[in-house]
Amino acid sequence: MRLKRRTFLRGVLQGTAVSVGLPVLDAMMDRTGRAFADGSVPPKRFVLWFWGNGVRRAHWTPIGEGVDWMPRSEMAPLVADGLRPYVAPVSGFEIKTATHPHHSGMTGMLTGARYHLIGPTRDTIVSTFAQPSIDQVVADHFAADPECVTPYRSLEVGICRFRGTDEGTTFQHLSHNGPNNVNASEYAPIRVYNRLFGMPGDAQIDGARRSVLDAVLGDITSLQGRVGARDRVRLEQHFESVRALEQRLSASAATCTRPDIPNPNYPDVEGNEQIREKNAVMSELVAMALACDLTRVASVLFSTAGAGTRYWMVGAQNSFHQICHDERAGGAEPQPTVHAATIFKMEQLAVFLQRLRATPDGEGNLLDNTLVLGTTELSEGYTHSNDEFPIIMAGRAAGAFNPGRHYRSNNRRNTSDVLLTVLRAMGDMRPSFGTAEGTTTTPIGELLS
Amino acid sequence: MARIHTLLVSLVVASCTGPAEAPPPVPDDPTPPPPDEPYVPEFAPAEARLHRLTLRQYRNSVRDLLGPVDVPEDLEVDTPLHSFTTVGASNLTIGPRAAEQYEAAARDLAAQVFTPDRREGFVGCAPADAADPCVRAFLERFGGQVFRRPLDVEQLDRWSAVIADVEDRLGSVWAALEMTTAGLLMSPQFLFRVDVGVPEGGRLRYDGYEMAARLSYFLWSSTPDDALLAAAADGTLDSAAGIEREARRLLADPRARDALLAFFSEHLKLERLDTIDKDPALFPQMSPTLGESMRQELLLMIDDIVFERDADLRTIFDTDTTFVNPELARLYQVPASFVGEEFVKVQFAENSPRAGILTSGAFLALNAHATLTSPTLRGRFVRQSLLCQDIPAPPPTVNTTIPAQDPNVGPETLRQRLERLHLAEPTCAGCHNRMDPLGFALEAFDAIGAYRTTDNGIAVDTRGSLDGLPFKDAKGLGGILRERREVAACMAQMTYRYASGHLETRGEVAVLYELADAFEASDFSFTELVVAIVRSDGFRYAGVEQ
Repeated sequence: MRLKRRTFLRGVLQGTAVSVGLPVLDAMMDRTGRAFADGSVPPKRFVLWFWGNGVRRAHWTPIGEGVDWMPRSEMAPLVADGLRPYVAPVSGFEIKTATHPHHSGMTGMLTGARYHLIGPTRDTIVSTFAQPSIDQVVADHFAADPECVTPYRSLEVGICRFRGTDEGTTFQHLSHNGPNNVNASEYAPIRVYNRLFGMPGDAQIDGARRSVLDAVLGDITSLQGRVGARDRVRLEQHFESVRALEQRLSASAATCTRPDIPNPNYPDVEGNEQIREKNAVMSELVAMALACDLTRVASVLFSTAGAGTRYWMVGAQNSFHQICHDERAGGAEPQPTVHAATIFKMEQLAVFLQRLRATPDGEGNLLDNTLVLGTTELSEGYTHSNDEFPIIMAGRAAGAFNPGRHYRSNNRRNTSDVLLTVLRAMGDMRPSFGTAEGTTTTPIGELLS
Repeated sequence: MARIHTLLVSLVVASCTGPAEAPPPVPDDPTPPPPDEPYVPEFAPAEARLHRLTLRQYRNSVRDLLGPVDVPEDLEVDTPLHSFTTVGASNLTIGPRAAEQYEAAARDLAAQVFTPDRREGFVGCAPADAADPCVRAFLERFGGQVFRRPLDVEQLDRWSAVIADVEDRLGSVWAALEMTTAGLLMSPQFLFRVDVGVPEGGRLRYDGYEMAARLSYFLWSSTPDDALLAAAADGTLDSAAGIEREARRLLADPRARDALLAFFSEHLKLERLDTIDKDPALFPQMSPTLGESMRQELLLMIDDIVFERDADLRTIFDTDTTFVNPELARLYQVPASFVGEEFVKVQFAENSPRAGILTSGAFLALNAHATLTSPTLRGRFVRQSLLCQDIPAPPPTVNTTIPAQDPNVGPETLRQRLERLHLAEPTCAGCHNRMDPLGFALEAFDAIGAYRTTDNGIAVDTRGSLDGLPFKDAKGLGGILRERREVAACMAQMTYRYASGHLETRGEVAVLYELADAFEASDFSFTELVVAIVRSDGFRYAGVEQ
């Protein structure tokens, strides 16, 4: 299938417009542009969008509930320019597995479970995820349907370059398959591009690759018989990884034309990281991957837990984590820089949501068919609290999700309820989700349709 | 015997409780051993494990196996744990994305050696088809190098079948060998360094091939060469003496320098100089290259002490010799003449405030904030990384905010503020008394390591004490650290951790004592410490799974 027309979206790099071609997939749609050429409806997609170190609560929790709600200043970017009907803030929830602020918040919010401690503690906790993160749970659900094998099981990208401290994978990675089993985010737009559009498929070569991967699987199986219990588990995971790669070879190759190559480098300008520019191009690349059905699951690690990024564009003179602890100005708002940095982050999430909304998909746009979960690892950097957790959901999940309203819990509902809501919206009808205190059987019915 | 306390302190959960003026936890040398000398558990080796190759090890290995190649950059980043990538690599598995990256990288690498002008040299013959005996010979030779031991019958059959199958599919024996070369580079036998061991006296001894890889990945960050594999085959590596002989051969190779400097780089967290964030408005000397220059300086300084001179490693705390390029010379205000941007060796004057790593830009800038110095971070680094003493994180309920200037108090230095806030407050002082005073010694250096005499317009005060030993400035603190036996023991402990790829277990404490003694007996030669590590039972034996 050849696509003839391309729409060029613009990513701005240091004042210069850089064209990134986004295939709009006319060839995949029928002549009315409403549905895919084969008559099928567009698939559901899921995106996890994560930022580190919370918000300023006083400027976050919306006023009013249900459809009659007003955003406070930090959420304002998310309702601007037509996004409001797509957005559903969720407030009043808390992590039920809280023992350590960053680590519990990260794993509780993303897995519905406690973190898994790695070895003895040192000056702080070193941990990994005990359970897969929600994006991978959704990817598993999609992968269970043999009809919907996409070339990539999921896509992981990172924006702010600070990689997290050495407190385990919890602090350095977002997407997890299980303990010490991560899907590392890719930070260079050029590599995301190369992965998605770089290598055209070839049936003969793919047959040879399958033969090679079979032998690799054979080597893994033989080795499993020789090692201890812990390493057997690691090799089982390696086996699953290679088998997933092999299965993808049978997925149809990308039907999109190669877009223009994004600029590979976003060098610092006068010592300042070019976050806005990286976010714009990564947002486009993720939208392309979803629109082209190269994958149906993505995660965006805007900034890591603990968040060592310096938001210079709002005047921050120190890392975000540090200013959350240090800043205490006079006046009505004691943390004006933290507040401004949070608004900046929500503007970047809004850029991503707008990119999905501007991308045609089936009869509507990509945001109509996607569910985005935006969250962080604690509610407020200053107190490191795990209640009143910041959660934003957006998109319509092909009609399964019902946004445009603020859902508030007045009895400290479990953040796992949000994850079960995600799963239901994605068509996964399991009765419960999470482990131990994190377990839930109650999705947020008001947000499902 | 003070050493014994130190090591044990680091292996139990740390605590900072006690009065603000707590007595030093460790008696100062040379005091007689305390009557209640702690119990040292009997040596029990740690369990064997699979070590995934770190990025550095992967890159070096494929270059050594294939010859000159461009290694694809698109590979998963390392996840350091307990300071080291090698520890992270012994915990992590290979996730789906990493498997995909390894496949793409392996195919890219194989394509580079199977160009028409290169493939015959690489394979060692020009086979007519997959049945050509030279194909089998290639598989045995190259496969053995990649897997770091001869392929067993099952593996030979499996990969021979791949060659035949791919030749069928693609109609070319060259294509079949190229795909197979890529395949071997995706095998768990390559991507993981496999340690299993053979039973010997109730425990497991790493066999010759496992020892070969343990040595080469520690000393070269790369795969064993043919001579080392031959030493594995002929039983040389079954004895400590044979291991030492091969270790000395490896240490004499230039590859050992890069690999062991990588240890120092991880230990001192020099990788983070890539992403230090300093406010450009406050620090006009900060440049995109300054962090890298600082890292180069420390690596050159350590290279000079460890490899050029094989001098006392503790010299890093008081050496007046270092290496600067033009921007570092400006930062340090040290006279030097340059040709271009090259580093040159310089000697600080006797009255210079600088000596050793504590006053290096790398240490000072890494352990500071974007706008401010941090006596706490600097002191914490000394306690944790140089003394191997743990400081617990602040409890979740504590507000760690440092309030802004108090208008009723008048102008203060950062030291004065911290003394008022951290050290006068009993809940903070327990831990901060162990960190902040060490950092005060470095208050004559700002957040990027430039010398200063005032802070907030007030003269800085760099006096203090380490566990009862007084110093008047950074050089004084460096001199004390050089002489502390815990510091040398900590160096041995960190090197052992890096080499073994796991956090030391209780059963290994006995080995750590031996290594600290051996290090001292060698007048603190780092290369002798390395030899002592590879000879040690902790490096040669594994425990039976519980």
